[in-house]
Amino acid sequence: MQNVVKLFTRGRAAAPAQTEVHAADAVCIQALPIWTKQVETARVQSEEAIIALSGRFASIVNRLDLALDASQHNSGGADLSRALDEGRQELAQVMSALNEIHKSRSTLAEQIRALAAHSSELAKMASEVEQIAFQTNMLALNAAIEAAHVGEAGRGFAVVAHEVRNLATASRETGKGITQKIALVNQSLEEIITTNETVSAREGEALHDSGNRIQGVLGKFGDMSEGLARSAEDLRRESGVIKGEIEDSLVQLQFQDRVGQIMAQVVGSMQDLDERAGAVARGEQLQIDTAAYMAQMVSTYTTEEQRRNHQVTAGSVPAPTLKVQGGSDVEFF
Amino acid sequence: MAKRILIVDDSASVRQVSNIALTRAGYEVIEATDGQDGLTKLAGKINLIISDVNMPRMDGITFLKAVKAHPNYKFTPVIMLTTEAGEDKKNEGRAAGAKAWIVKPFQPQTMLDAVAKLCLA
Repeated sequence: MQNVVKLFTRGRAAAPAQTEVHAADAVCIQALPIWTKQVETARVQSEEAIIALSGRFASIVNRLDLALDASQHNSGGADLSRALDEGRQELAQVMSALNEIHKSRSTLAEQIRALAAHSSELAKMASEVEQIAFQTNMLALNAAIEAAHVGEAGRGFAVVAHEVRNLATASRETGKGITQKIALVNQSLEEIITTNETVSAREGEALHDSGNRIQGVLGKFGDMSEGLARSAEDLRRESGVIKGEIEDSLVQLQFQDRVGQIMAQVVGSMQDLDERAGAVARGEQLQIDTAAYMAQMVSTYTTEEQRRNHQVTAGSVPAPTLKVQGGSDVEFF
Repeated sequence: MAKRILIVDDSASVRQVSNIALTRAGYEVIEATDGQDGLTKLAGKINLIISDVNMPRMDGITFLKAVKAHPNYKFTPVIMLTTEAGEDKKNEGRAAGAKAWIVKPFQPQTMLDAVAKLCLA
């Protein structure tokens, strides 16, 4: 317990009773080192907390930077879109090749029809052969009758007429055979044409259907690709906004520097007062020189708030607010 | 090649704000926690120095005078970044050779504009 001493010189009008002064001085002497420690503890704790907080914010900003850079350099949406375009071109070529094959089937059908037309001519020609054979037979028959009329003299001619009739009959049979075969060929060609037309029609439908399905699948992939690109862009934009907000928060955290300086100055002034009080208590000085103490305190101010707070009486002027300065607050020398 | 900036400030939050802004703008940043630490970081190429004024161990004005007395860095531009807005301190900084004075808290763009201007000069 330190001795009760008179620390301060005071104005006569405001001077309280001597015992009260001494009691207040005693409290100050004992309380000052404790106040100092309390304020210093608060200052250190808030500083540590703010530094940790700003460190976390800085880390988040850096991570967002990395994520944004990665998403900008690795735009999956664009790659997918390019792959889709390439796929669309490849499939268009495949469809074009299949359509060419389909068209060549139609050409084949036309050629078979032309062949069938030729065989009709052949049938007509075979019919003419039959007719010629019939007429030849009739001629040979007449020749045989005439040969009979001339008797023995016409016997040789009758033999020739008989052979001619035999040949005419053979020709007629051959003509019939050709006609039958041509009919068979024509029937086969008709069947081929019918089958070809059926296959061609199915092929056409299958091609049309495949084309529609391919377009449908590519369309869906295209929609998905666009959706993916939009989502990636939204994500990038949102990340950018969040990063901006955090950067702004970091700027606001600069108040720690000012608060830290103000609190450090208060601690310093309290320590100074404690030392001066100690000197008085030890009898080294008669009393504390208030004017000198206050002048020393003013000399340690580092911010405008401290100077304003010092000048104004409590409550007469609103406490200065912290405001981040605009871009014009740089002064070049 | 990126320009190198030395930031001398005892406030970690101010160093972080400055570092993020400068790094993003393409500068290479070296940090020091006070004037004395700043003197140990004076090595190699340094294009510009940003210094606080009120710091423990060695204050910014003393550091500024040491930089201006250094044979290799006497022409390196120095920006003072401080809570001090009073004319007396400002004049002290000007007399010691500072090129610009920015009052905290500051917008990073303010600092970047000043850095860009002085780096070009």
